[in-house]
Amino acid sequence: MNRAQAPLAGVRIADFTIHAAGPFGTQLLAQLGAECIKIESKTRPDAFRKPHAVYGRMSAATFDQVSVNKLSVRLNLKHPEAVALAKRLVSISDVAAESFRAGVMQRLGLGFDELCAVKPDIILLSLSSCGQRGPDSHFAGYAPLFGAWGGLGWMSGYSDGPPLEMRHVMDHAAGIHAAVATLAALHQHRRSGKAQHIDLAAREVASAMIGDALVQASLGLMPARPGNRHPSMAPHGVYPTRQPDRWLTLAVRSDAEWQALARELDRAAAARDARFVTARARLEHAVELDALLTQWLSTCDADLTAERLQRAGVCAHVSWSMCDIARDPHLRARGATTEVSAPDIPARLAVGAPARFSKTREVGIRRLTPSLGQDEDYVFGELLGLGGAERRDLERREVIL
Amino acid sequence: MPAEESSPPLAGCRVIEHARTVAGAYAGRLLAAMGAAVVMLEPPQGCALRRAPPLLDGSGESALFAYLAAGKRSLVCDLLSPEGQHVLERELEGADILIDDTALRERAARGLGEETIGERFPGLVHVSVRPFGASGPKADWDGEEVNLLHAGGEGFLLPNGLSYELFPDRPPLKIYGHFAEYQGGSMAALAALSALWAVPEVGGQYVDVSVQDAVLAVGAFALQRLGDGSLEHRSTRRFRYGGVFEAIGGFVELLTLEERQWAALVELLGRPAWAQEETLRDPLERSRRGDEINRHIREWMSRHEVDDIVHWAQRLGVPAAKYRTPAEVVHGEHERARALFAPIALAGGAEAQVLVAPFQFLSSPLKGGGRVPALGEEAPLSAERATEPVA
Repeated sequence: MNRAQAPLAGVRIADFTIHAAGPFGTQLLAQLGAECIKIESKTRPDAFRKPHAVYGRMSAATFDQVSVNKLSVRLNLKHPEAVALAKRLVSISDVAAESFRAGVMQRLGLGFDELCAVKPDIILLSLSSCGQRGPDSHFAGYAPLFGAWGGLGWMSGYSDGPPLEMRHVMDHAAGIHAAVATLAALHQHRRSGKAQHIDLAAREVASAMIGDALVQASLGLMPARPGNRHPSMAPHGVYPTRQPDRWLTLAVRSDAEWQALARELDRAAAARDARFVTARARLEHAVELDALLTQWLSTCDADLTAERLQRAGVCAHVSWSMCDIARDPHLRARGATTEVSAPDIPARLAVGAPARFSKTREVGIRRLTPSLGQDEDYVFGELLGLGGAERRDLERREVIL
Repeated sequence: MPAEESSPPLAGCRVIEHARTVAGAYAGRLLAAMGAAVVMLEPPQGCALRRAPPLLDGSGESALFAYLAAGKRSLVCDLLSPEGQHVLERELEGADILIDDTALRERAARGLGEETIGERFPGLVHVSVRPFGASGPKADWDGEEVNLLHAGGEGFLLPNGLSYELFPDRPPLKIYGHFAEYQGGSMAALAALSALWAVPEVGGQYVDVSVQDAVLAVGAFALQRLGDGSLEHRSTRRFRYGGVFEAIGGFVELLTLEERQWAALVELLGRPAWAQEETLRDPLERSRRGDEINRHIREWMSRHEVDDIVHWAQRLGVPAAKYRTPAEVVHGEHERARALFAPIALAGGAEAQVLVAPFQFLSSPLKGGGRVPALGEEAPLSAERATEPVA
């Protein structure tokens, strides 16, 4: 795959991000064609380079989604010469990205002002849990905490249960928003030639996912946790089927769709039942309706029913596990899933192109997880012009480590 | 694109949004928040989102629409009429980006086909955002939020942790609101700005975004784990210890991934005897005995105030947060200091606080605020208007 044929060809990112949220955002930009140089070191390996017992992974990851397409160089940022080299790398980049706790980049000597001194029009993306400013900006956190702080966790969950713990999707949602903001800053730069510092707080992305409830709350209303129910649709939810743990999701938006559902499930009597004829009536009798659907669907094949309902114009889909996703021809045809392999990586599926472009088509995975420092000949040698002897000396003195 | 130096990131960028889904409207919303001039093309009866719940008591106005339409303008345009086609043509003439979520089979009749648009407006970025995308065997499938969250793989994995422990027999649970559609919308905004970046080289183009793809993308780690040989399930996708805990006055999220955080947690709990046990120094042993550890933490949490817990925890370096209500977020000190919200005038006259954007541009702060556009407030004319700076 040729990066020149991708929309962001020519954009270079000096990538200091770690863990999940930041790297996911720069990974998206790299799939879209940006050249993304990951700056790391043996002394502070990123999460995927070490075992993660809490996640049940007992060794380093062989394939890591959030590092695809990235180049890797080593710099031991505790060493002033490494910081100087990092600045040189930033000076030939369009974007620098970082995801440390607020204040860490400044302590390393790589704060926005220092970067502006070497690259007066740099775009710096700072992604953190709570942002660069504000009383909580020193708080550390992970995806479940973003969801808790931002209010999304509170609003999600069973109506009669505790709040819901958000997982990686919350990190990665922050990553998409970071990529969006970075691109907007690139457009601004193209117009103005000025530097920009983006401050993304992941907890605020969680808040953006409950923007409607926050409007209510600002007016003194107390939005309730709806669980799987919907305020204007019934039936709506996730229903068991004939197969164990094979659930069917349904969302009926109109009376016509209700009629279509009843017809497809051979329930002519229910279609005429006054309790269910209008949306208002169905919402009033949502509990009975859910009980009926549970009963009706208990003899149905989930997949066949979903297909039949879709043909009849009813929004239905099976609750898919990753096995379903992995064997889905639709996602494969779109390049949303793509097979990757390498000498040490047996063929497996990864998440590919974030969108399909009609002209700049070469969007997607071009390289897999880089080994630590594998691109130093190109980055240190070609881009920064460091000679072999000089690099060996830097390695000996643990500047490059 | 003429614009002043301190103008917002997307000043001068003109976007036409033809959307009835949250995904399409959120894409436009993100661009509007960053200073693009976004015009919603609405049918004569108004966009369906104007009536989408949650509705505000009294006025019956849609809180969802107020959030999604903030900073946009509204233009009525019946695309099935010749006049409407004329308006569409004129609006697209001056536009940089078109965001459309019309069902594929309805596009031709509305002049929104990929080829038609591409031929007439070669410099335009045409973004299609559909539940299952605009190509592939399921492109004509339709889906609402609950369907899409599950089609992308995340729905099947929810809930995990405490909710699952309490209610293991219930159906999987969706995330509040429109999480899946917000992923599709932000991916559409990303795709729109990427294609716009390439306009000087290749001109306009058509971009096909799918909400299902976007949900899968944010759930990528589950596919990665499948490649590693394990199939995730909500019953097993949980942190071995940590998670959601009930305290006095609310719920706490607690998660320790690093060694030093475990040590700090032991400190937080007052160095109890059980936690001093030699074998628990081994992280693998802790993982194995996660249930036991959580029982101890649960007991301790139940005896303390939620605000005290998170205060002590953050001081010691234990990642912990309170599960905050929407009211706590909207009135939060941190949020206020960061000016996360700005006042918006609702159609009914009341003023609500609306989230400006989930990112800040420190060198040219976003303004936010304004009002919810009334249906068809824009006269359907407008080369002039399109180049005006956005308020």
